[in-house]
Amino acid sequence: MRALFLLLFLFPFIDTQAQEIEADLSYKYMFASNWDKAIQTYNFSRPFLTEKQPLLMHGINGSISYIFKSENKFKQGINASYSHFSSYAENVNFVNQYNLHFLNVGYMLRHESTGSLKGLCTDFILSALSSALFRNVNDEPFIYDDTSSKAFGIGGDLSVRTSYSFNIKNKIRLSPFFQVGYTPYLFSPNTEAVINQTRGLVAPNFTDVFSTQVGLKVRLRD
Amino acid sequence: MPSALLSSCRTNTLFEDTSFKGKVLIIGAGAAGLYAGYILKSKGIDFQILEAAPNYGGRLGKLTGLANFPIDIGAQWMHGKNSIVGDLVKKSDTQITIDDSNEKYWFNNELASSLPRDINKIFEEEENIPDVSFEEFAIQKGFGNEYKNIVEAIAGDSGADASNISAYWKIMEEVNWSAGDEDFKFEETFFDFIEKEIAIHVQDHIQLNTVIKQIDYTGPTINVTDANDNAYTADKVIITVPITILKSGDIEFVPALPTEKTTAFSKIGMDAGMKVFLKFSTKFFDENIIGGSICAAYADDSIGKVQDDNVLLAFIMGQQAEYLTSLGSDSAITDALLQELDTMYNGQASASFVASHVQNWTTNPFVRGAYSYSTVGMGDARKIASETVAKKLYFAGEAMNTNGHHQTVHGAIETGYREVINLITDVRK
Repeated sequence: MRALFLLLFLFPFIDTQAQEIEADLSYKYMFASNWDKAIQTYNFSRPFLTEKQPLLMHGINGSISYIFKSENKFKQGINASYSHFSSYAENVNFVNQYNLHFLNVGYMLRHESTGSLKGLCTDFILSALSSALFRNVNDEPFIYDDTSSKAFGIGGDLSVRTSYSFNIKNKIRLSPFFQVGYTPYLFSPNTEAVINQTRGLVAPNFTDVFSTQVGLKVRLRD
Repeated sequence: MPSALLSSCRTNTLFEDTSFKGKVLIIGAGAAGLYAGYILKSKGIDFQILEAAPNYGGRLGKLTGLANFPIDIGAQWMHGKNSIVGDLVKKSDTQITIDDSNEKYWFNNELASSLPRDINKIFEEEENIPDVSFEEFAIQKGFGNEYKNIVEAIAGDSGADASNISAYWKIMEEVNWSAGDEDFKFEETFFDFIEKEIAIHVQDHIQLNTVIKQIDYTGPTINVTDANDNAYTADKVIITVPITILKSGDIEFVPALPTEKTTAFSKIGMDAGMKVFLKFSTKFFDENIIGGSICAAYADDSIGKVQDDNVLLAFIMGQQAEYLTSLGSDSAITDALLQELDTMYNGQASASFVASHVQNWTTNPFVRGAYSYSTVGMGDARKIASETVAKKLYFAGEAMNTNGHHQTVHGAIETGYREVINLITDVRK
């Protein structure tokens, strides 16, 4: 996260051959049925916890993109993004939190409209995705057998992003955007063990992840 | 605001609105039955728990008076803390202590701090394990007769005789184990914990001394009859009795359960088991003594307790438990154990013996053994055994745990809530 902010800060000072460099920050909504099921089972099975654990659905996302020079109306680029989702529930003697981190690195194909739709931009992003899930209990990493409770996963993400640009300065544009994504996702059996403290009881180690994002990006033109 | 709108489409728990107005009978008030009741109560579903014994808790129990600390006569250790029981321990601020006591081995007629070869390692392998008994597997790995009682102790930890438990299926089933390897003891007892945190919520729904003889699920309403010919009706029944009771046919099902299911019951093992608590005036014994021929595993019972009377637990499983049971009396059992301890500790056991308590789970008519284990050729017996019958009969209890947590209290609890989930799912279909 710190590295991402550093990159965003350094953007104006980067002397690059790229046509564009972009950075964005967005709200991300996620739907992953089997993770829902694990948390729903966790809540259902623990009547002693009056404050229920929220689903992992609301997160923040930050990404940077590097668009290569091209005369074509289709441009290519690379994209890296980071997302964070958290679920926090506070009960007496038992404050439980799940932190889910995603890292995507991928290829981006951009289409920029012309004519009356000038300013409208559509990105198709294909990326590899990895995640790490951690659990904190009473504000400390949950440790058992001298190991912190954690789980990992991988997937392939396909996203479509539409934005509209406004010129702010000569080479700087602001673009509000909307993005939808789909990820077939494989997670380690430890994921259920971190969330519901079981393995193989709730769901298979596979889920479809659907996401939507609303945010703002800054575009720097060469 | 958009976030609130999006959230409203997804509830954070299963079955937020449960419309089931029927009645559920739970057979058995052990950990699984109590927890199933606790969950049903939390969802506002009408239920009653019928327990054969004069007390609830199943294979959990408490003894006071023998020592200056309360004694667990049944389940004693919390195996790992990454479990629903671990969460409840934290939530309730219950005092537990890790049991990292040291082991001594009775090997070649002397007490030793370690064994010439580490036999435990062969039972931790995960590849190329044959479907043979622990006893046979140890022989195949080159461990001779001198390790026989050590192997019995390892098998006994799983509640089994070494000649019955499968090395392969034991390991296969434990692949899903996720609770952690550390063992914990309760400052009070495991029974106290379950009573205070779970049973208290359902005590009003428990009917004790009710031995179920027949479950007739022919019609839309299930008719249950006890040994005194009292009748009970319900829309769903959750059966949580030990696997020994299901295997023995003590409960008649009408119509009979599918053959596949009864065959699966027969493949799940549960051997004889007893715990004998020996109180001494002096502490001459080690924290754990592994490898006796009368009792393969002794443990200092005061570990994890605030007070420290000198109580040694004899944890006896399988053929050893059968042999001691055959002696016919508690005093004969105690004498046999004292004799073995005298051999190990040069007569100090008899010299400082104060009192004993024999808890023989094998002769308990509603338990008849220790806990379930995986037999040779077991396959997916637990999965078949735990399947719902006719959307009316649901099977829970530690033996029905299919996610690697069988033999444990948290494993039993998991099946309790699992079957309530299955039950409500069936109702909503």
